Amino acid sequence: MSDVVMKASDLRREYHMGGELVRAVRGVTLEIARGDYVAIVGPSGCGKSTLLNLLGGIDRPTTGSVTIEGSRIDQLSDAAATRFRLHHIGFVFQRFYLMPALTAIENIELPMAEAKIPRDKRVRRGRELLAYVGLEARYGHRPAQLSGGEQQRVAIARALANKPQLLLADEPTGELDAKTGTEMIELLAQVNRDGTTIVVVTHDEDLAGAAHRVVHMRDGVVVDDRRQR
Amino acid sequence: MLLRLAWATLTRHRSRTLLAILGVAVSAAMLLDMVMLSSGMRASFRTLLLSRGFQLRLAPKGTLPFDTDATIPDASGVMRVLRTIPGVTTVSPVLGGQLHIVRGARTIAATALGVDPAVQGDYEITQGRAPASPLELVASDDFLRASGARIGDTLSAASGYDAQLRSFSGQRVLTIVGRAHFLYMPAEQRAVAIPLATLQQMQPGPATQNRDHVSLFMVKAREGEPVDSVLRRIETALPRVSAISTETAMRQVDERLSYFRQLALILGAVSLAVGFLLVTTLVTVSVNERLGEIVVMRAIGVARGRIVLQIVIEGIAIMVSGALGGLGLGLVTARYLNSILASFPGLPAAIDFFLFEPHDAWFALGLLTVAGILAGIYPSWRGASLPIAVTLREEAVG
Amino acid sequence: MLAALLIAAFSQSIDSTPPPRPPRTVAIDERLAADAGIHVGDRLLLTPTPGGDVGSAGSGDSVIVSALVRRRADPSEVARAEYRVRMHLDELQALIGYGDRVDRFAVSARGTAGTDSALRRINDAAFGFRAYRSRDIAVETSRTFLVVSRFHRAIGVITIVASAIFLLCIMLLKVDERRRDVAALRLMGISARSIVRSVMVEAALVAVVGSAVGVGLGWLSSQIINWHYRGVYRTPLAFAVVTPGIVLLAVSLSLALGLIAGFVAAQRLVHMSPLELLSGRREERSPAAAATAG
Repeated sequence: MSDVVMKASDLRREYHMGGELVRAVRGVTLEIARGDYVAIVGPSGCGKSTLLNLLGGIDRPTTGSVTIEGSRIDQLSDAAATRFRLHHIGFVFQRFYLMPALTAIENIELPMAEAKIPRDKRVRRGRELLAYVGLEARYGHRPAQLSGGEQQRVAIARALANKPQLLLADEPTGELDAKTGTEMIELLAQVNRDGTTIVVVTHDEDLAGAAHRVVHMRDGVVVDDRRQR
Repeated sequence: MLLRLAWATLTRHRSRTLLAILGVAVSAAMLLDMVMLSSGMRASFRTLLLSRGFQLRLAPKGTLPFDTDATIPDASGVMRVLRTIPGVTTVSPVLGGQLHIVRGARTIAATALGVDPAVQGDYEITQGRAPASPLELVASDDFLRASGARIGDTLSAASGYDAQLRSFSGQRVLTIVGRAHFLYMPAEQRAVAIPLATLQQMQPGPATQNRDHVSLFMVKAREGEPVDSVLRRIETALPRVSAISTETAMRQVDERLSYFRQLALILGAVSLAVGFLLVTTLVTVSVNERLGEIVVMRAIGVARGRIVLQIVIEGIAIMVSGALGGLGLGLVTARYLNSILASFPGLPAAIDFFLFEPHDAWFALGLLTVAGILAGIYPSWRGASLPIAVTLREEAVG
Repeated sequence: MLAALLIAAFSQSIDSTPPPRPPRTVAIDERLAADAGIHVGDRLLLTPTPGGDVGSAGSGDSVIVSALVRRRADPSEVARAEYRVRMHLDELQALIGYGDRVDRFAVSARGTAGTDSALRRINDAAFGFRAYRSRDIAVETSRTFLVVSRFHRAIGVITIVASAIFLLCIMLLKVDERRRDVAALRLMGISARSIVRSVMVEAALVAVVGSAVGVGLGWLSSQIINWHYRGVYRTPLAFAVVTPGIVLLAVSLSLALGLIAGFVAAQRLVHMSPLELLSGRREERSPAAAATAG
């Protein structure tokens, strides 16, 4: 297998909003190596979240291509793209988006259940992941009974449930205070050290500082792309 | 996990879910009642007609049994003809009339049936015995209550009352030998049954008048013999009578009580629509509230069909829980509504407008389940088909 | 048929003048004429017993149809598909061997006082019969309608219960949807009373608009019901009527239910603190978890 886990070629995304054509992403080409930790930064509205959505297959490019592990995900049907995300990509969102009706461990079990993993294995892995993110005692708590930082830890555990090669995170520290944000940065670094490729979109300089590579965007294009370590 | 998520979502808003279940229960109760009403009357009437095994009724030409005062003349001759018709096993003649029973200073009017006690199909003895001699009678509970008479008492009964002379005609002294439940009589009907010949002789008119007439013959066909063929043979042999099969009688009842069937259909449809609207509203609002969750489930790889299924399960769960609650409620309200309609004038008291049969419950449950599925499909499909990226952005703003 | 003949004869007995004889004439109702293809001038055979012949015992009578009559819309006859033949009293008495007897007399009197005094005087002088007020007889004969009306009332009560639950459910959903807005209003200093009032106004509007739509639907369905049953029962009677009283009852009932539902739903909102409303944690949060969360 190639060292490149993801390749985006001349990605463009245009859409109409209020009668005007918005060119959110205007020709981005990007290669991400296996095991890399990439931060995409830039001012609000520069297209970084749209780029992340395109890379994760939850949005389709107007033109260009996205290849992950040899699969052109921009050409997959909706159902196939969903299946692909289930097995290969983990998502973490700024607002956590845990299922409020489910407990912490059930939230982690959700993608595993979708992947038809037997219940006993799901529970075992769920507990392992909770321990990994430092919340083994909170497995029976619902999201509303957890703090923001705890919810984001559960969200990271959920994203890792099916052992994806790629973890995409959109402003994962955006709703957290400084201390919890720092803990989150450490957790993501740990996840990366344990072998998961991470692409994170952020305004948080500390979080960007923890990445190996920082991609700067402005007006839908990459204006700077440099490796930090 | 799908079921767990559906359950967890429903229990998350307990009061909302309970109210929806309660609303569906009332709709389901109404639906069940209406399903029972639409089929109950027919089933109950059919059971009543066939309860004593008589499949055919013979009435004067062009009339229905006891629908008019018309009678069939030459009853003995008709009986003789009937007994010669192949397939006829039992013939029960019935004459309807009015008797005035004198109790002290009071006169009690009662509906009288003249029957052949050996083959009659109009009543069931609940106490005592059937009349064995010409001057014996059996009476209904209501008659005994109204007259204060008991089994063994003798009564003075007359078939006619001349208002001008204030005198009775066709008077006999009769002995009460039994208490009977009259199958085809309306509720609270004071009724007596006496041997046919006695009632015929009591009829007013000159002594020379031919009193050999009856209101009705009830006929049993031999087992295995097609009733329609027997009916055709009777009509050929006796052109001056109308032979009425159970089916024809059912059609007549259907015609007269079509209002209730149609009302049942309309109210049943309205109940179903109300239940459907309730669940659709609930599921739509629930989906709208959870758009973020739904698109995130899609983002983390949960298939659209599974999300739709999970939301549809929520709709079905509300419908089925409501329907199960509605079953009990429906049976209680059916009893209440039946007690109202039981006082419908002229109908046999034994007719149940609301007759519970298990297939009614299954039918109502099936309809509600289908409604639950339909109620969940559109909002869930709409929710699960939203573009993930756009919806997440809007959710983040909203 | 015989009963119908009797009733027809007596309802006309007082005013009828002796017809010219021969030929004997009868009037039949339009329904019989239409169903049997009978026209004015046709000759008919009337017999007291089915299949009876002219000249035999209890013999029949050959008559000419002189008129077709439109029957009055009588609710008590709606479901009975009976035909009516109107003939002169003496001819009917002769035909059915009834002698010089009638089943009843219809008497008209002037005004209520006249009716009362006629009733008293007839009953005082009565010899073997009794006079009744028409209204009392109508009450007795309208038992069918009383039963149907009780049945409808019971159905109405069930419908009201269902509507009340529906409305309460909708209002709960609406206030749940607006938790965040209400929390913001509360944080801005808007009083609980104002919020309750605004929710109740909204509920009242939903109820009034809903009942207006319901009245419209009710009117439309009453037209369909009348059209259908007039066809089925061949009568000009109205089976469903939307009266101002019914409209007023429906609207006021919905309004009352709406206000109650709105009040109950609003109480849920105002009894939660703005922070609880924002987080939506009231139901889920246990005291132990609350101590550690946040």
